[in-house]
Amino acid sequence: MSKLIMFHGKECPHCRRMMPLVEKLEKEESVSFDKLEVWHNEQNADKMRSFKDLIEPKCGGQLRTPTFINTDTNGVLCGEVPYDKLKEWTLS
Amino acid sequence: MKNFWRCHVCGDIHFGLKPPEVCPTCSVEHAYVEIPSGEALNIQSGTKTETDRMGFLKAITAFAENNAFQVNPDRERVDMLLDGVFSNEKNHGLKYCPCRLRTKDFEEDIKLVCPCNFRIHETYKDKVDGECWCGLFIKRSDK
Repeated sequence: MSKLIMFHGKECPHCRRMMPLVEKLEKEESVSFDKLEVWHNEQNADKMRSFKDLIEPKCGGQLRTPTFINTDTNGVLCGEVPYDKLKEWTLS
Repeated sequence: MKNFWRCHVCGDIHFGLKPPEVCPTCSVEHAYVEIPSGEALNIQSGTKTETDRMGFLKAITAFAENNAFQVNPDRERVDMLLDGVFSNEKNHGLKYCPCRLRTKDFEEDIKLVCPCNFRIHETYKDKVDGECWCGLFIKRSDK
């Protein structure tokens, strides 16, 4: 199974809105995201930084949240997106 | 590389590639001298108390007044963002945007301090309803 990670921030409104969509997708499609908070957990922050070269080209040159990453395919999805787009990216 | 500069007349501190030709506070020309960052921090810590939450909201509201953007009227969203901004200042030293992670490179991370230069972001420029990445600032509909 692909390794899916959602990097998010506790006080990031985009992340707050994406969280229920991610949980809905997990239930409907039997997928699972590692949800890693990056502003209050330095280990998670370092993990996000370790994907800097993959994330920045897709996220306006920055480490923006939320960022979704598939570590098997190196696919990256950045920001607040509609459910269908999240689903398509996750299952592709 | 950017440096700190101090007006030798009134003590204003400037951070940039070069000093202002005219001091915006005392209007004296060619008054800035380059100083080390430690000196700038010592001057700041001796003259300014920590910004409180209401003080920051007042400051960014005044900052937006003469611009084409405003502080987002969605108070719940603003409250969440200010929670993040002040939490980041407490835990990481500066008012970093809660919707982007710092890289630990000072030159890069200074660009994440709120308010950032969001006018260059694709979420703001060339958009009628543009906003900064986190949504703290949105374009005014009347400008």
